[in-house]
Amino acid sequence: MFESFQHLATGFGIATTIQNLLYCLIGAIVGTLVGVLPGLGPIAGIALLIPATFGLNPTSAIIMLAGIYYGAMYGGSTTSILLNVPGETASVITCIDGYQMAQKGRAGPALAMCAIGSFIAGSIGIFGLVFLAPPLAEAALAFGPPEYFSLMVFAFIVLSNVTGTSLVKSLMMAVIGLIIGTIGLDPVTGDARFTFGSIPLLSGIEFVAVAIGLFGIGEVLTNVNQPLEMLEQKVLIPRLRELYPSFQDLKRSIGAILRGAGIGFGVGLVPGPAPVIATYASYMTERKISKHPEEFGKGAIEGVAGPESANNSACQSAFIPLFVLGIPFAPPTAILLGALLIHGVSPGPLMISNHPQLFWGVIASMYIGNFILLILNLPFVPLFANILRIPKKILLPLVILFCITGMFTVNNSVFDIWIMLLFGGLGFLMRKWAFEGAPLLLALVLGPKLEVAFRQSLMISHGNFGVFINRPISMAFLIGMLLFLILPIFWKLFKKTEKGGGGSSKQ
Amino acid sequence: MAKRIFNVLFIFSLMMVMPVKAADFPVKEVQVIIPWAAGGATDLIFRALAATTGKYLGKAVVIVNRPGGGSAVGYTEGAKAKPDGYMLTSAVTPLTILPHQVATAYTYKDFDPIINVVSDPSMFLIRADAPWKSLKEFIDYAKKNPDMITVGNSGAGGGVHLVALAFEKAAGVKFNHIPFSGGGPSVTAILGGHINAVSVSPPEGIEHVKAGKLKIIALFAEKRFEMFPDVQTVKEQGIDFVMGMWRGLISPKGTPPDAIKKLHDAFKQGMDDPAFIKNAKDMAVNLSYLGPEAFGKLMANDHEFFGKLVKEIKK
Repeated sequence: MFESFQHLATGFGIATTIQNLLYCLIGAIVGTLVGVLPGLGPIAGIALLIPATFGLNPTSAIIMLAGIYYGAMYGGSTTSILLNVPGETASVITCIDGYQMAQKGRAGPALAMCAIGSFIAGSIGIFGLVFLAPPLAEAALAFGPPEYFSLMVFAFIVLSNVTGTSLVKSLMMAVIGLIIGTIGLDPVTGDARFTFGSIPLLSGIEFVAVAIGLFGIGEVLTNVNQPLEMLEQKVLIPRLRELYPSFQDLKRSIGAILRGAGIGFGVGLVPGPAPVIATYASYMTERKISKHPEEFGKGAIEGVAGPESANNSACQSAFIPLFVLGIPFAPPTAILLGALLIHGVSPGPLMISNHPQLFWGVIASMYIGNFILLILNLPFVPLFANILRIPKKILLPLVILFCITGMFTVNNSVFDIWIMLLFGGLGFLMRKWAFEGAPLLLALVLGPKLEVAFRQSLMISHGNFGVFINRPISMAFLIGMLLFLILPIFWKLFKKTEKGGGGSSKQ
Repeated sequence: MAKRIFNVLFIFSLMMVMPVKAADFPVKEVQVIIPWAAGGATDLIFRALAATTGKYLGKAVVIVNRPGGGSAVGYTEGAKAKPDGYMLTSAVTPLTILPHQVATAYTYKDFDPIINVVSDPSMFLIRADAPWKSLKEFIDYAKKNPDMITVGNSGAGGGVHLVALAFEKAAGVKFNHIPFSGGGPSVTAILGGHINAVSVSPPEGIEHVKAGKLKIIALFAEKRFEMFPDVQTVKEQGIDFVMGMWRGLISPKGTPPDAIKKLHDAFKQGMDDPAFIKNAKDMAVNLSYLGPEAFGKLMANDHEFFGKLVKEIKK
C-alpha cells in the first residue's frame, strides 16, 4: 500500500510537467468533443489522434490518448440530455430522464450533475485502479464462456424492464432486439444469416444506428406529429439561477453517484459491453431503491447522475486488464494497446515492472485529467443549455442533420444512415404505442455475445448443460436470476396473507 | 444567439465531412482493413507498421477493424472497396483458406498484391501449470482421450484453426476445437484456464510465455525461436509438420500501378525503419519481405495447397 503511494507520487511528478499537462488537456478537450458529437465515439477519436503522437515519448502519448477515452464519457451525455440523441453507446440510458429534465427547463442541473458525477466516479475508479488492479485482473480471468453466458442471461432478465413500465412490453422489445442481433455472419460457423444477399448486412445492424434512430429521430418525428402551434414554441427556458444544481439536487444525487461508481467499477472488469450494462444496472438500482420511483422516466436527477457516474468508473476499471495483463477487454482499450505497441512498449504481464514511469505517470494524469474535465465541462453548461432557446421548428431539422452526419462518421456508410432512419420510423411508432427503446438496445448489445458464449460453453463441455451449474460463479448468476424472478411472486403472496398490515414501502 | 449556435453546429458538421479532392497519390490517409478484432496478431503487427510507414508515405495509415465471420466480412468489404489505393486490406493466410470452405464473395484473385511483411511459424500454447510436461505427453494424452483436449482458435475456418486441424492429422489425434473472435480473446481464455491449449502464431501470447504463465508445447517451425532457444520444434521430435502464417497487404483488383508502387515503397521503408524492426523483435514476429510479384505467387501457391488440404479434411 505504502509503496503504491510512493509510486503515485513519482507519477504525479511525471504527469505535472508542462508538456504532459498540455497533452492531458488536449486529450480531455478532444475527448469531450468526440463524446458530444453523436456517432463519433472514443474509438474513432483515439484512432484519429494516434498518428499525432508519433513524435512523442510513450508516456505523453498514452496520457493524451487515455484522456480521449475518459473525456468522451463526460461529453456523451450532452446530446442525450438536450436532444434525446445518445452521444455514444454508454449514454443511451441518460436519454430517458436527462431529456425529460431538459424539457422541464432543467437542462442545466442535468448537465452539471453529469460532470460532477463523472468526476467523483472517475476519481473513485482511479483509486480502485491503483490499489486493487493486480488481484482484480486475476479475478476477471475467472470469467470463461459459461460464466459469461450466465452473467449475460442474468443481465438480460434483470435489466430488460429497466424503465419499469410494462414487463410484457419490455420483453417484447428485448426479443425484437435479440432477433435483430442475429443478422449477419454466424459467429461460430461463418455462415450468413438473414442477410438476403446484402453485403452491408454481413457485419450486422450497427448499434449506433439503432440507438440514434430509436431515440433521436423517433423523438423528432413525435414532435412533428404535434399541432403546428407547438412547433412555434420553445422548450422551457431555464432561468440563470437554475442553471446549476441546487443543494437539494446534490443531496439527491450523491448516493446515486457513489452507487453508480461502485457498479461501474465492478462491471467494467468484465469483458465486452461493460459500460452499457453498467449504465442500465445503475439506472435500475436507482429506480428500485428510490423513495419516489414515480419520478423516473419523467426527469429524476438520480436517473442521470447514477448511470453517468457508472460509465465513467467502468471506463477506469477497463484499464486494469490492459495494464496488468496486456489484454484489451473493450474496443477503446484495444486501440490503446496498439498505441502502446507503436511506442515500443509491449503490453503484457511485465509492463508495470518494465515501464513503471509510464504506468504511474498515466495513472497520475488520470486524476489531473478528471479535474481538468470537471472545470472544462461546468462552464459549458450554460452554453449547451441555451441551445434549447432555439425554436423547435429550427432545432428539429438541425437535429436530423446532426444525426445523419454523425451516423455517417461511424463507418462512412450510407447504408447505416438508412438503417438509422428506418429505426427512427420504428421509434416514432413505439412512442405512440408506449413501447420502450431501452430493452431493445440492451438485447441488441447482449444477444450476439450471449449466443457465442452459449455455443462455446457447450462445445467445451461436449453438449453437457451441467457446465452452467457446475461452476460457482456461473451458478451464482443463475441463482440470482431465479431469485429475481421468484421473489416478487412470494412477496405478493406474503403481502396478501398479511392484509391490513399497512403495506411495506419497499418495492 | 440562435444564429451563433447555428454557426457552431455548421462548423461541426463541416469538420465531419471534409471533402478531399486532388490529383497526386496519396492526398488523404490510407486505411488498412484488419478482418479481425483489435488486439490480435495481425492487428498488432499492422498497427506497428502503420506507425512507421506514415512518415514515408506522407499521410497517416489508419487501421480499421472489421471482425466477423472468420475474416469474411473484412475481406468482402476490402474486395468491394474502390481500387484507388486508399482502402487496403491485410492479407493473411486465411484469405487463401476460407474461400475453399464457404462460398465467399472473393478469392485472392480479387486483389492486387502489394507487399508481404511477416511470415511466422504457428504454435500451440498451454498453461505453465498444465499436466503435460512435453509434446510426447501431450500427444499421448490426446491419443488416449480423443476429442477431450480443448484447443482454442481465433475463429472457425481461420488460419490457426486450420493449422490445428492439419496438425491433428499429422499427429494422428483428435482435438475439440473452440472458436473465439480473434487471437486476443482466445489467449484470455487459456490464461483463465477455460480451455486446455490454444493455437496461435506470434506475437499472440508471447508476452505471457515470457512472463512464465504460458508455455509453448508444440512449435511448427523449421528452426527454433531465437528468443526461446530451449523450445524444440515438433519436427525435431519426430512429427514432420511445419506450418505458418504470412501477413502482407493487398489492394482491390485494378488499383493503378503507380499507386501500388508508391504504397509498396513506403511500406518497405516502414518495414526497414529501426523502430518497426525493434517492435517486430519485441513481438517475436519473423520479418520476411516479398515484393508484389513474389507475394502474388505465394498467395497463388497457398490457394492451391489449402484447396487440397481442405478437401482431404472434409472427407
